[in-house]
Amino acid sequence: MKVSLSWLKDYVTIDVDAAELAEALTMAGLEVEALTDRYGYLDRVVVGRIVEIAAHPHADTLSVCSVDVGDGIKPVVCGAANIKKGAFVPVALPGARLPSGDTIKAGHIRGQPSEGMLCSEAELALGTDSSGILLLKDQAAPGKGLAAALDLSDAIIEFDLTPNRPDCLSVIGVAREAAAILKTPLKYQEVKVPAGATPIEELASVTVEAPDHCPRYAARLILDVKIGPSPFWLQDRLNSVGLRAINNVVDVTNFVLMEMGQPLHAFDFDRLAENRIVVKTARQGQRFTTLDGVERTLGAEMLMICDGKGPVALAGIMGGLESEIEDHTRRVLIESAYFDPITTRRTAKRLGLGTESSYRFERGVDPNGVRRALDRAAQIMVESAGGKPAEGVIDVYPRPIRKSVIELSVKRTNRLLGAGLSREEVGSYLESIELEVEPLNEDRLRVASPTFRVDLKRPEDLMEEVARLRGYDKIPTTYPESDVVGIPRGKKLKLRDRLRQVLSGCGFSQIVTYSFIEKDACDRLGLGDKDPRRRMVSITNPLTEDQGVMRTSLLPGLLATMYRNSAQRNENLKIFELGKVFLNPPAADRDELPLEVEMISGLWTGARYDKTWHFREEEADFYDIKGVVEAVCEGLNVKKPRFAPLSSPDFAYLRAGHAAELHAGDERLGAAGELSPAVLKNFHLKQTAFCFDLNFDLLVDHATQEKLARPISRFPATTRDIALIVDEAVEAGSVLDFIEGLGQELIEAVDVFDVYQGRPIPDGKKSIALRITYRSFERNLTDSEVNTIHEVVTNKVLKQFKAQLPAIDGWR
Amino acid sequence: MKEKLERLEQEALKALEAADNPQEVQLLRVRYVGRKGAVTQCLRSISTLPPAERPLAGKLANEVKTRLEAAFKDSIEAFDTGRKRPDGALDVTLPGRPLAGGRLHPITQITQAICEIFLRLGFEIVEGPDVELDYYNFEALNIPKDHPARDMQDTFYVSENIVLRTHTSPIQVRVMERQSPPVRIIAPGKAYRVDSDVSHTPMFHQVEGLMVAENISMGDLKGVLTIFVHQMFDEETSLRFRPSFFPFTEPSAEVDIRCVICRGKGCRVCSHTGWLEVLGAGMVHPAVFEMVGYDTGRYTGFAFGMGIERIAMLKYGIDDIRKFYENNIRFLEQF
Repeated sequence: MKVSLSWLKDYVTIDVDAAELAEALTMAGLEVEALTDRYGYLDRVVVGRIVEIAAHPHADTLSVCSVDVGDGIKPVVCGAANIKKGAFVPVALPGARLPSGDTIKAGHIRGQPSEGMLCSEAELALGTDSSGILLLKDQAAPGKGLAAALDLSDAIIEFDLTPNRPDCLSVIGVAREAAAILKTPLKYQEVKVPAGATPIEELASVTVEAPDHCPRYAARLILDVKIGPSPFWLQDRLNSVGLRAINNVVDVTNFVLMEMGQPLHAFDFDRLAENRIVVKTARQGQRFTTLDGVERTLGAEMLMICDGKGPVALAGIMGGLESEIEDHTRRVLIESAYFDPITTRRTAKRLGLGTESSYRFERGVDPNGVRRALDRAAQIMVESAGGKPAEGVIDVYPRPIRKSVIELSVKRTNRLLGAGLSREEVGSYLESIELEVEPLNEDRLRVASPTFRVDLKRPEDLMEEVARLRGYDKIPTTYPESDVVGIPRGKKLKLRDRLRQVLSGCGFSQIVTYSFIEKDACDRLGLGDKDPRRRMVSITNPLTEDQGVMRTSLLPGLLATMYRNSAQRNENLKIFELGKVFLNPPAADRDELPLEVEMISGLWTGARYDKTWHFREEEADFYDIKGVVEAVCEGLNVKKPRFAPLSSPDFAYLRAGHAAELHAGDERLGAAGELSPAVLKNFHLKQTAFCFDLNFDLLVDHATQEKLARPISRFPATTRDIALIVDEAVEAGSVLDFIEGLGQELIEAVDVFDVYQGRPIPDGKKSIALRITYRSFERNLTDSEVNTIHEVVTNKVLKQFKAQLPAIDGWR
Repeated sequence: MKEKLERLEQEALKALEAADNPQEVQLLRVRYVGRKGAVTQCLRSISTLPPAERPLAGKLANEVKTRLEAAFKDSIEAFDTGRKRPDGALDVTLPGRPLAGGRLHPITQITQAICEIFLRLGFEIVEGPDVELDYYNFEALNIPKDHPARDMQDTFYVSENIVLRTHTSPIQVRVMERQSPPVRIIAPGKAYRVDSDVSHTPMFHQVEGLMVAENISMGDLKGVLTIFVHQMFDEETSLRFRPSFFPFTEPSAEVDIRCVICRGKGCRVCSHTGWLEVLGAGMVHPAVFEMVGYDTGRYTGFAFGMGIERIAMLKYGIDDIRKFYENNIRFLEQF
């Protein structure tokens, strides 16, 4: 919404400069988005004095002028006849951008150099005369800016208005605010329509068949108009707020729209069949061509303005092509109506057609301002387009809409605002914006709010008016009184922090990716047909195809991130994401929300360590990623985590034999391992990558928060090593579990310190070397005591796993 | 005297030659030319010589002292600059063996910083679903269907009644539905709007705050947000409250802070206004209270919301919001 300072000054005395006014309006809730110089476009247009005029050697109608533009005499080729030597004229210098959109350049015209353009007043949008060059009366110094020479100055104020303030979608609305802030009265223009001869009822009729959609419809008829360009003042006003002048009828409706915020429509009365207006809803599927030339299909809920035959306008949105004002239009019917906001909004949305008019009706125009706007338009039209009005007005307004009346407690106002205002002060703020205030008692005011303020319905709305007119800066800064409370952070929040610490400690950086991903992500991950992650939540209006569904896994985001980083040559990556995935319920009820599950997933690709002078570059492997998952379990204190070879089809994206599932209790928490080559290919990745994909909600369930100190034995430990030659299929984990299961109290720990396959170990076998730590809580263990226990343990292991000891070396 | 001085000089230079580290050189320096050093003592004893010998001896002693001092100084410099190294010395300028930790995403770091401030003020952290019912996202926040206020937020739809939440405000309603006053919560989370350019991404993060009790005033809102801004930025960062409109607060305010880049002088970041819009806030609209069954006669409250990306961009000097979601590791490792 734009207004010009000079237009505002028609209604309110403004004695501050534009910047000050803009600041004050912003602080009162009308946010000024931009403040610009109306005549900024004259920046490169200066006063020039014609020193010499010579005939153009190659063109009879052109002449070559030598023009003094202050910093020199420049050649300018000109085609106008009214120039003469010594005249002062506007010169657009190279770089000037004229209202037509043309940019002036230095060049040659029919072979003669020309370094500018002499302009008519129409070319500079300073008047309507385009017959010749504007001859300046004041003999300002050549080179002086034209705007300064002509004393042109105006500011354009552009607002970013909130949707609750449609009353400010007009110059008067803004002026009303300015008047309240500047504490000066608002000056309404006098509206007076000349009397007509024939009563309008004898010429036209209006029937409203849908009064719920159209509570008020008023019309006037102007006879014998002569269509032509509008007077300059009218064109200038429209130009100033960015509207294009069209003709002296349409311009008037636009002027009143901008001035009062009431959208109007002008029909060519002679093209209205049977000279009548019927307001009714459309027939489903009916077709109608709007004046932008687009044929539209109507719905049964759309409100139409019809004549005796059919629709002539989409009510409150746009007129029809058939009844548009044309050059030969003689009689004009002006419509001023109040259309229901919701009806207008639904139709505009359905058709995808928003206009200045629909924008205002959707937000709410003043139902009681309809008549005044109509009269104002009639008055100006008679002045600008000739013609005379038919006598009187048709005004169908069966159920007048009344002012809303609100009772306001001064005490509660003060309580909410933290202020100490008197009843009179509260009242005077409200009166300054045309609210009617009547005291009921010491505390209460009865406030009637005019119908143009559609946003004032409750006492709190009035409290805001008081607060903003007084200034939010006057509200004291206080601190709430409240009880001392200490709310412990929930388990999940704590563990999230812990998890992030653990992973960043492991060298993983956190990424955050969009919650929406591409639809075929499940296919690319190779998930089974029945996989719950195929129950994706689709977005009906995605921004792009690859953001069409809500993610059901964090992996696509990690893989896409790896892809983007590898394109950037960031080849060594350790990244994780902690976030929600969204699973539709199995039998998707239309109104049931999806299940939101928090996952923690990570990816490691490239070297174990960045290459430095310390390390040879080594590729990360399965045991690296497993180590990270172990660190996570340990960091979160997960009860008894166990790893097992993949068995669930859920992890089809991992390479068989190179990945493990993580279990705790009887639940599967996720998996970790190498990504399958197929998945890498599907995500266009060339480098081996390892990932973990764990259900954070389940991890939280299995995490214990309490930590109890265990006593530490003060006696020293003794260790014994064994190397076992076992079948290569034997899992090290089962050996460790077996030893633990023996329940030998003196065994404190069992660690694998070597695994070896190859000579001299026979084919199909491998050697696992274990170190067992023995320790007692009561005494120093003797060598022989340990040897005895160790032998028992060793024999049990050998028997259980059909293992052998190595031929040489053996155990100590 | 002469021989003694010459001997001392030879001896000192030899010892210096053998010195293996700068500490040793320091000791030698003290031993020979320090306040009680051997050469210094010689110099002092000149007064005991016959007057005829004094000038020559004095000159010589001074020369020796000067030469030795220069030699010590040079030797220490040689160690300092690495020209000379102790035996078996390591090249300590080689980089250490890296124990590089990972970094948390800047959005996480800023969210944590914001939450910490409010936690200290006794606010509780709550969360809610990203995929939300239209009812909680709009209706219960006083934004009925067909209301122009819906245009303020371009919505992703899942179905007619299910949306991706356009703000974290629905959490307010969910909390008030299950809990009676007093309420003091903050709710961080993701939000979604159909928008994508240098300053908008279709997914972004917000923190919502809500406080409801008896006698909460707009002054209290100013107080709490002032504390927040002062702790998040610094005590010099002033605030300005401007009337605005949100359907679920009345009165509503936009909260601007003094531009943290130019301190109000006007720069590109603040569009030369000197102010940055960082928060939306207001007093909870009675219609919202009615929707959750709170007694509007008894309780008042305030709510506020802020975009985390916006604050992160200001704190870290980031000019394009999309960088947060490109996840270029070289970008992330800066934080």
